[in-house]
Amino acid sequence: MASVLIVDDASFMRMMIKDILEKNDFDIAGEAANGQEAVELYNELQPDLVTMDITMPEKDGIEALKEIKSSSPGANIIMCSAMGQQAMVIDAIQAGAKDFIVKPFQADRVMDAINKVLG
Amino acid sequence: MAGSSNDEKDLKVIIFQLKDEEYAIEVDFIQSIERMQPVTRIPGVEAYINGVMNLRGVITPVIDLRKRFGIESKEFDEATRILVLNKEGNELGFIVDGANDVMDIPASKIEPTPEVVGGVAEEYLRGVVKLENRLFTLLHLDKILQKQEDKAGA
Amino acid sequence: MSQSEYLEVFIDESQEHLQAINDNLLQLEKEPGDLSIVGEIFRSAHTLKGMGATMGFEDLAHLTHNMENVLDLIRNDQLEVTSHVMDIVFEAVDDLEEIIVDISNGGDGKQDVDAVVKHLETLQGLEPAASGEEAATAEAVQPANTINENYDEYEWTVLTQSQEQGYQAYQIQISLDEKTMLKAARVYMVFEVLEQIGDVIKSTPPADELEEEKFDFTFVVTLLTTTEADEIKQRILKVSEISSVYIKTVNIDPYKENTTKEKNQVEEKANSSPAKKQEKRKKKESSPGKKGTELNKTIRVNIDRLDVLMNLFEELVIDRGRLEQISSELNNTELNETVERMSRISGDLQEIILNMRMMPVDQVFNRFPRMVRSLSKELGKKVNLEIIGAETELDRTIIDEIGDPLVHLIRNSIDHGIEHPDVRKSSGKSEEGTVELRAYHSGNHVFIEIEDDGAGINKEKVINKALENGVVTEEDLEKMTDQQMYGLLFASGFSTAEEVTDVSGRGVGLDVVRSTFESLGGVVTVDSELGKGSLFSIQLPLTLSIIDVMLVEVAEEKYAVPLTAIIETAIVNKKEVYSAHNQKVIDFRGKVVPLVFLHEIFQVPAKDKDETDNDFYSLVIINKGEKVAGLVVDSLIGQHDIVLKSLGNYLSDVFAISGATILGDGQVALIVDTNALIK
Repeated sequence: MASVLIVDDASFMRMMIKDILEKNDFDIAGEAANGQEAVELYNELQPDLVTMDITMPEKDGIEALKEIKSSSPGANIIMCSAMGQQAMVIDAIQAGAKDFIVKPFQADRVMDAINKVLG
Repeated sequence: MAGSSNDEKDLKVIIFQLKDEEYAIEVDFIQSIERMQPVTRIPGVEAYINGVMNLRGVITPVIDLRKRFGIESKEFDEATRILVLNKEGNELGFIVDGANDVMDIPASKIEPTPEVVGGVAEEYLRGVVKLENRLFTLLHLDKILQKQEDKAGA
Repeated sequence: MSQSEYLEVFIDESQEHLQAINDNLLQLEKEPGDLSIVGEIFRSAHTLKGMGATMGFEDLAHLTHNMENVLDLIRNDQLEVTSHVMDIVFEAVDDLEEIIVDISNGGDGKQDVDAVVKHLETLQGLEPAASGEEAATAEAVQPANTINENYDEYEWTVLTQSQEQGYQAYQIQISLDEKTMLKAARVYMVFEVLEQIGDVIKSTPPADELEEEKFDFTFVVTLLTTTEADEIKQRILKVSEISSVYIKTVNIDPYKENTTKEKNQVEEKANSSPAKKQEKRKKKESSPGKKGTELNKTIRVNIDRLDVLMNLFEELVIDRGRLEQISSELNNTELNETVERMSRISGDLQEIILNMRMMPVDQVFNRFPRMVRSLSKELGKKVNLEIIGAETELDRTIIDEIGDPLVHLIRNSIDHGIEHPDVRKSSGKSEEGTVELRAYHSGNHVFIEIEDDGAGINKEKVINKALENGVVTEEDLEKMTDQQMYGLLFASGFSTAEEVTDVSGRGVGLDVVRSTFESLGGVVTVDSELGKGSLFSIQLPLTLSIIDVMLVEVAEEKYAVPLTAIIETAIVNKKEVYSAHNQKVIDFRGKVVPLVFLHEIFQVPAKDKDETDNDFYSLVIINKGEKVAGLVVDSLIGQHDIVLKSLGNYLSDVFAISGATILGDGQVALIVDTNALIK
């Protein structure tokens, strides 16, 4: 069972993803509400996968992604973006994000992306 | 939410007694049936409001149904029961002479109310049911719960 | 997790974000140059958009999307923060609030946002008809399965040359899923995959058009690689949202002769894949906010659960009382010790639970800045609202109730207190008036004060009006202090508004404000200095659900009198009672105190035994603000912590009874509403 760290500043969004993942038998390693927490939790939990929101307080998702990638190059990180964040998504892909999903989340999209990254 | 079912099929009702008559209330509204217990008087309210009781931690108003219907009072005894109703989340107790039957009444058996049944004004009644030589009067709960204007002692 | 639970969190969080937007907008209006605030607002709007879209609230998403666009312009210095711009954004926020209110009331969140969207679009310099970024123009697409790529001479040269070096050329037709939202980013991912295994020498549509999403869902690339076709296909399919991949080998034999150009040019071309150019574009947005969310150490608990917890605990308190009573009767040492320890622990527990229900008054205060802003605009006044002590906590049942009366008082201060700028100027004040809203703790109470530096209350006017309306008599006035006279403002049917404005004077007077606070066990007082300003002060209990009372007995009935209303208890000789104006009074510590006989007020049935042999009255001296009265009871039982319970909807307006409680023996005792007993 693969473990996932969910990063999003909106607990509502975390809940949505968590629900999708739990229904598909993923193990939720943890949840973080900003980039700083994400980096700390990643190092602590070493999850198989991270879903990373882009726009967050304290430290945004792209910076967190870069930090995680620099210490764990193999990290599997999927960005969560919204419409209109194309440039940032591309930044993230360049920085090593494995995939991205776009809000509003649809369960099949999310699972498709995750399965592709882990598969 | 249970409760507001106006099904035209069978009605499950609780049968209770007041004076010489038998009455019925839909089971959906009944939360429990309690023995008589201490009731704290509330000053300055309608005379038929007996007071409030402690029903497992919930302050529950208690109405004396005899007084509500203008039937002469009688001492409470071993048979006296409090029907606890739950209407839209509010609990309310009805003091009745006795309650011991649950029955299914076919909706088709409900007949219009004769003008007066055992002294109870027509407006409180939904209809009467004749079943196996017994006559039950079906109560109109909403009407009963509407307060009267006559305040006690005021 | 059910849909309704989502909805709850959605509503909660939306409200938080709306509040943040409101706060930050007000802040921005004060400091229009501070673009970090714009970033904060943008972030909240953005999150709202995502949440709204996820829940399928399209109007919400649509509106926030347009707000975002406007904010983006501001952030990029393309739009100036003028009062007009702020008004429109506020308007948008109002609509958002309405949507959220609708949703929380069980509505579908549908709202006619066209008007505001039009305004927002005008700010963006758009023709109102043009829709947003999604308006991707569809390029002609190849019919599926048939790849028909044409190469110019230069491209053929490249193809031929690379084949000689052992590369294979493939034409690859890639189709994105029709629901793909960020197409350019997907294309970018495909190119990344392709460039790991070879060189893309051509794409249709060309790279820059792919980057601008000027294609439908399908594009074709020509790849030079040594990787097998199957492998290429697998790799591309690893990218999400790719619905199909067709690969065809390019046959370049006919052009084998034409081989002159160099290959490095090919590389150059391949490198110009989409989006590389975008790298330099706008970087991360928001700055590290000072406030930051404090999500890490808190969990969200549904308020209903807290209520259930409270209810359960209340039952425990009742049983605790019962247990204490039993153990004192049995007088068993071990039982006593155990019960004592249990009582202590449950006391601690009580404190924790009550604390959990405490919420900062900010919950109520935070909507006032917006209100003051629009109100002062409406009235043509300049008002600066200062909020102090917003972190002060109160029980949430109280928080829920004080919003409306406070709104009324603040409106009153701005409407009647603060003068117009020219009036202020001519009386030597600054044009901008100040309203200070303060909250602070003191003992078992929380005080909320509203102080303005406006015109103050004209005592003469108040007195005249009060006499006119029969609120007081000349006689009464002689005995009154200034504060008591100002307090007449709160008497029923009183209004000093000379001109009925749109703001107050709508028939709802300050008396309603007073009675609301009093129903919460609060006391309202006023002080004022003509020309300098007024101070409205509200004293509120910390919590409502578990209160300290004095239990008293009247004949065979028990009543509870809240300790907060009691000055002291006393026993007086019946001979010390006088009659004045048909009212029995006593002289108590040099003050004339009227007596209130509870057995009369509550029509308590007399006890069987004869009572005339008693020469004394047991009194509970209570107060309401400055006024004092003595409740006459048969005996004082003692002080208790009790759980306040409502009598329910059926018994909503019983005179002088504010609720009930369950005593240790399981009996119900009524709680006396002392405010109703003092005139």
